[in-house]
Amino acid sequence: MRALGPGSVSSFLKIILDVAQVALSIGLGVVTTLGLAALIFHFDPKIVFQDADFSQADAASARRIIAGGLLIGALYIAGVLVIVGRLRRIFSTLTAGDPFHPDNVRRLRTIGVVLAVLEIIRYPIMLITVWLAPEVMSKSGFGMNLTTWFAVLVVFVLAEVFREGARLRREAELTI
Amino acid sequence: MSLTELADRVGVTIANLSILKTGKARAIRFSTLDALCRELDCQPGDLVEFEAGPPIDPEDDEDE
Repeated sequence: MRALGPGSVSSFLKIILDVAQVALSIGLGVVTTLGLAALIFHFDPKIVFQDADFSQADAASARRIIAGGLLIGALYIAGVLVIVGRLRRIFSTLTAGDPFHPDNVRRLRTIGVVLAVLEIIRYPIMLITVWLAPEVMSKSGFGMNLTTWFAVLVVFVLAEVFREGARLRREAELTI
Repeated sequence: MSLTELADRVGVTIANLSILKTGKARAIRFSTLDALCRELDCQPGDLVEFEAGPPIDPEDDEDE
């Protein structure tokens, strides 16, 4: 299989990244709008918590929880969107035939940092969710995601590999 | 001989010849050195010289 051009692995990856970018952008818009709408407008929380029996005060607090959840979801999608954006830029350097561009080191580090931040902010959010809505957490579970930390490690190692690649590229450029 | 003519004869671009001339090059291929010496009818020592100074750090010119 070819590395570049039509029918290559990179062309499929580019399609996936483009689709992910569009889907995440739409998702971000929808979730942010819903979150803001939940904050501004009144609605019956039974739409979300169908079996619950709410008093007036409980309903207001449930609405705030739902709005908070949606806005946190929007934050998460924004983080993933940053990652996809950086990946697309890295990919454009690959298709331009210059994957070891020095900017890619910074882009990979940004991806690693965003992955780590998304994982780190998950813990306090989970704790708050356990405190506010224990019935939600009992369904989704609580724990440290080792896969994410491993992904962070992989990305930072790749960033160092790219740093060395960028240095070699610079040396090759200045070898006459 | 003009720079353009030398670049043509040696088979490098004028930009690369300029990098060589200004001392910004990190390395020179034996093939380039061979072609330069052939065209200029000189020895490698006539083209390169050592100037005492601090050792070159390979990390120095990273353009991150």
